[in-house]
This record gives sequence, structure tokens and C-alpha cells, in this order.
Amino acid sequence: MARKSKESKGQPAERGLWSPYWREFGKLDHKCWKDLWIMKPIWVTLKVLWRTTAHRPVTVLYPYEALWEPDNYRGRPGLDFNKCLGCGMCVNMCPCQAIVLVDCPDDGGNTVRRPQINIGRCSFCAYCAEYCPVDAMTVTPDVELAEYTRSDLIWGPRRLAYDKTTEGMKVKLETTLISDFKNGNGERRVEPCRVDHPKLEGKKCISCRKCSKVCPVAAIDMVEHGTNAKGRPILWPEVDDDTCVGCAQCVEACPKDALHIEEVL
Amino acid sequence: MMADGSGKEGAGAEPTRAQVDAEQEFDRAIVEGKFDSVDMRKVLDAEGGVMDMDKMWITMGPQHPFSHGLWTLIIQADGEIVTDAIPIVGYLHRGWEKETENRTYPKIIPMADRLCYAASMTYTHLYCMTVEKALDLEIPEKAKYIRIVADEINRLQSHLMWLAAVGTDMGNFTIFLWASREREFWMDMNIRLCGARMTTNYPRIGGVRNDTPDIFDRDIIRCTEHFEKMIWEIIGLIDNSSIYQSRMVGTGIITREQCANLGITGPAARGTGVDFDARRDDPYDNYDKVGFEVPVLTAGDSYARYVVRMEEMLQSCIIIKDAMQKIQALGKNSPYRLKAPSRVPAGRHFGRIEDCRGEAMMYLVSDGTDKPYRLKVRSPIFINVSASKPLVQGCRIADIPVIMAMIDMCLGETDR
Repeated sequence: MARKSKESKGQPAERGLWSPYWREFGKLDHKCWKDLWIMKPIWVTLKVLWRTTAHRPVTVLYPYEALWEPDNYRGRPGLDFNKCLGCGMCVNMCPCQAIVLVDCPDDGGNTVRRPQINIGRCSFCAYCAEYCPVDAMTVTPDVELAEYTRSDLIWGPRRLAYDKTTEGMKVKLETTLISDFKNGNGERRVEPCRVDHPKLEGKKCISCRKCSKVCPVAAIDMVEHGTNAKGRPILWPEVDDDTCVGCAQCVEACPKDALHIEEVL
Repeated sequence: MMADGSGKEGAGAEPTRAQVDAEQEFDRAIVEGKFDSVDMRKVLDAEGGVMDMDKMWITMGPQHPFSHGLWTLIIQADGEIVTDAIPIVGYLHRGWEKETENRTYPKIIPMADRLCYAASMTYTHLYCMTVEKALDLEIPEKAKYIRIVADEINRLQSHLMWLAAVGTDMGNFTIFLWASREREFWMDMNIRLCGARMTTNYPRIGGVRNDTPDIFDRDIIRCTEHFEKMIWEIIGLIDNSSIYQSRMVGTGIITREQCANLGITGPAARGTGVDFDARRDDPYDNYDKVGFEVPVLTAGDSYARYVVRMEEMLQSCIIIKDAMQKIQALGKNSPYRLKAPSRVPAGRHFGRIEDCRGEAMMYLVSDGTDKPYRLKVRSPIFINVSASKPLVQGCRIADIPVIMAMIDMCLGETDR
């Protein structure tokens, strides 16, 4: 046979565990007509017939009973309305552009921005649940999503609620920093959205306050840094690192490109 | 040629009386057996040459039960024997490579799943590996072993789907049902590992999406042992049956030289004596640290390719068991995912992987932004399908489904 010897690769020869299949059929000189013609397959089929008849039913009777699925099963996305910040991280990460932020009233009557998902476009990749900084977006085992019209496939923020959310449905984004990994401190886990914060280029800032207005967690304070030539105060944004979720909405809102996300590696 | 001038030459001038007499005399000589066999052959060839009905072009596909997907095989048939074949692909072109240029690097991972739904894990693995090369990133040991396990689960379920297709191509629906039944167990393993059955979206740039859950650690070894037992039922249907062996032995023969010239890779090449497997000969992601063997046969017919794939399934079980031991030895706290930078430095990088169907490659041109400048995919099936002419030449029409099934066509990656 054309089997190569493995000694030259530095592997011991007995490491290759040739399976019983190869021993019996790998030489290609197996003369099946010397045994029982087609009696062997018939015998195998009869055994299975007997087994399945004795232990029936062997399949799940689907509409009447459902398959058991583990918690991390990726069905439609679910949303915890009150936990959600409206930061738009899911909108940025969605590869199908199925998510948009819509204005809707919260429990107190204030207008807030929450994600609305077009299930017809969703590819069930669970990026929204993975990158959610507060685990408001989860995966759910709900897969029966057929509707009669396409407009019914657009799920609003309230409809996305899922009542039986467990801890396993919250997809955690735990990464190790490259610097930590190289220093032998590999067991430390960080969330990227908690370590990446916006950084200001002071020269470009025009004190327009747009960043502090769009910040969903109110992490940006406008701090006075002296006055300009006309005697007006120069306001620079200052980011509170503990509340910032790194959603980059301020970066997108900045009219002068003064802010950019600084990545910690 | 008929004496009254019908047929090919009937369109010309009326034959003279002398010509008609000569032909009648010639016909009488044939009937009386005045020619020996060599001359007789010449006579028949000469007569057949003027008739234009001996060869027929038949279009198989794109909507044909033999083509698993949308592609066309135009064959030239001489009676029952196939003399020529032209494969036509391109019905499923979606502009994948162009679309990647508009997406950031992490967003391409779910797209790479859709290259081939039966080999989603290997294609995402390949894409992540290529980007890691561009980032010059060494991923943690645990992530490498988890990727190996995920790849081998993927290889098993892909081969089982191939086996189901071979069963229906040979007219045995039992094989289809039994192989699909075994495949469901590996699908369940996929669900336990990453939450989805087919489009897994599991490897990430810098590692894998999540650590192996406890439920996966418990079930994977049980599933592997169950599969090693249950595959013998399917073997009992095919290898032990002379009906199915006679459909495969000696059909679709291709030589080692043809294999090299056509650029065929994967199990189709290993069935013809090409001893090459990227997992062993160009190891990536710790494949050099797990023990396995590469089955190689020199026969080069359909049955050899079938045996190679069946043996690969059993070798995959060995790899999974070995790699799971290594994962458990590393412990639950070891890192599995690095935080990758979103911008990739400019450069050209190339990755290769042993896909379930052959050798898949990706070529990435990055320009320093967070989106690739160009991403080229080398699909193994696009190259392997070019072998359809030497494969089916000389066989019978009824053998074509079985021969082409041994290539394991997947059109999603072919047309991209």
C-alpha cells in the first residue's frame, strides 16, 4: 500500500491507529461476492428494522413535542427593554444591516432609542448578543418565526422581549489582551467595549457639545479649558471611563473628526 | 448507403446506372461474407462515418437529480458510452469576493460561513487564519485545539452528507436516511459548541467565539464512540454488498499524472495515489501535535475515493478524541480568544487549509484600513470539477452520478 512511513516526520510509527475499516477494506481486495452476496446488507437492515420497531417512536413528533435545545441555541434575538442602553453597538456589528434604532416610549413615558430587528434579513449570527455591552440583547431558542406578510417580520423593541431568559442565553464577549497573553497573564479576561474609549484630539475640537448630547450613557462631560480669543469658553469633552461602553456614537457624531476610539491591545 | 440514393448523398445529382450496380454488388459481397474481419471493420467505419447520428450531446443539469446544486454537465454520448464532457458552472455567482470589500473584518466571518454551508467551519477557520497572519497574531493553544475539534466535526458531517448523496445516487434511500441520522448527532455537537447547526460563525480573529461548554465536553466523546459503532451499519450496506461495489469498482478511473496536471486536491486526489494532506504536510493550528494518519490508495477509481473518505471519517474521530484530551489538560482558565485590532496593516497574505473537499486557500490584500482591499478564494471544487472530462470519459451514462458524487460538488464555494 502507499502508506508513507512516519518516522521521517519525527512521529513514532505506532501512533497511526489504523482503524478496523482500513484493515478490512483498505486493501481493495475485498471480495464481497465470496460472502453472502447481498445477504449481509439485508441482515443489517432487518436488525435495524427490529430495533426501531421495538423502540418506537425513534423520531421526535415535532409539532406535538419539541426538541430539547441547549441554552446557547441561536434562534431569534431577544431584548431586555429596560436593560438596553440604546448605544447602537448591535446596529454597527450586524452583518446583514437588519437592525435599526427607533424612537419609542419607555415605561415612564420618555422617548428612548431601542433596536428594531427585521427578522427577514437576520442571519442568526448572534453578533448583536455578543457585542451588547450590558447583555440586554440575548439569543433565544425561538425559531418558529413564519408570518404571512413581510411587514410582520419586523420586530419592534417590545415584541423582541423574551420572558424565559437564562444566564446561558447571554453571550459573553470575553477576550484576552494580546499584551496580557504575552506577559503570561492570560487568565485575565476583558470586555473590549469596556477598555476601548474615545480619545480627543484637542486642536480639532470646536466645543459643539454634539458628543455629549448623543452619548447614550451620559459619560461625556464638557469641561472648560480656558477661553478663546473672543472671550468665549473652550469646552472639551471628558470621558468617564467607568460608564463609557465604547459604542463610538460620539465618534460618528463629531463634525470635525476630533474623536477616535483608542484600542487597548 | 442505400442503393436508391437516399441518405447523405441523396441530396446530390442522381446516381448513374453503373454506380447503382456497383453498390448493389458491394452490398451482396458484405452479405455473403467475402470480407475478413479487418476489412469488415473498415467498411463499417466508412459507412458509419457518413452517417451523422452516432454521437449525441446530452445536457445534464442544471436541474438534474445527479447535480447536487446548480451546474451543468454536457456530455457527448456514443450510444451508452460517454466520449466527451463539458462542465459549466456559474449559476450561483453572488459576488462574494466583491461584497467582502465593503465589510469590516469581523463581519466577513458570517459571510465565510455561507461559502459552503457544509464546510462552514473550515472556511471561517481559513479566513480567520489568513487575517491572523496579516496581523502577525499567535493565537492561544486552547483556541487552536478547539478549532481542530470544530474542523473535524465539520469534516464528519460534511462527509456524512456526501455519503447520503452517494446513497441516493446509487438508488438506495436507506443509506441516505441512515447517514442523515448519524449526521444529526454531529449537528447536535455543533449546537452545543456554538449554538447553530450549519452556519456556525464560530472561529474569530484571534481565537474562537466561546470556550467549550460543559455540556459539549460531556457529549463529544460519547458521540464519537457512538459514531464509531454506528458507521458499521452503513458500511454493511455499501462495502458488504456486491450491488453497490460493482457500481463503484473500476469506474471513473483517473491516473496520478492526470491528477497532478488538473490540480485535483483532497480525497479525490488521495484516492489516486497522491500522498498529500495539508494537515500533515503543511500543518496549521497544532495539527502536527495530534496523532492521525492520512489514508492513501493508488487504485484511482470511485471505490478508492469512497474508501478514502470513509477512512477519513474514522481518522477524524481519532483526532477529536486526541484534541479533546489536550483541551481538558489545558484547563478552563486558559485563554481562548485574543482581542484583535480592528485595523489590519497593509500587506499581502495567503492561507491554506485542508477543507473537507480539497485544499482551500485565501489570498488577502489589506491596505491598512478596517476593510480588506481584496479577498480571493481558491475553491477546491472549482478546480476538481475540471476533471469531469477525464473522469467520465469511457464510462456509461448511468455511472456519471456515482462518479461525479465522488468529487462531492458544492456550488456555493465554486461560484462564490
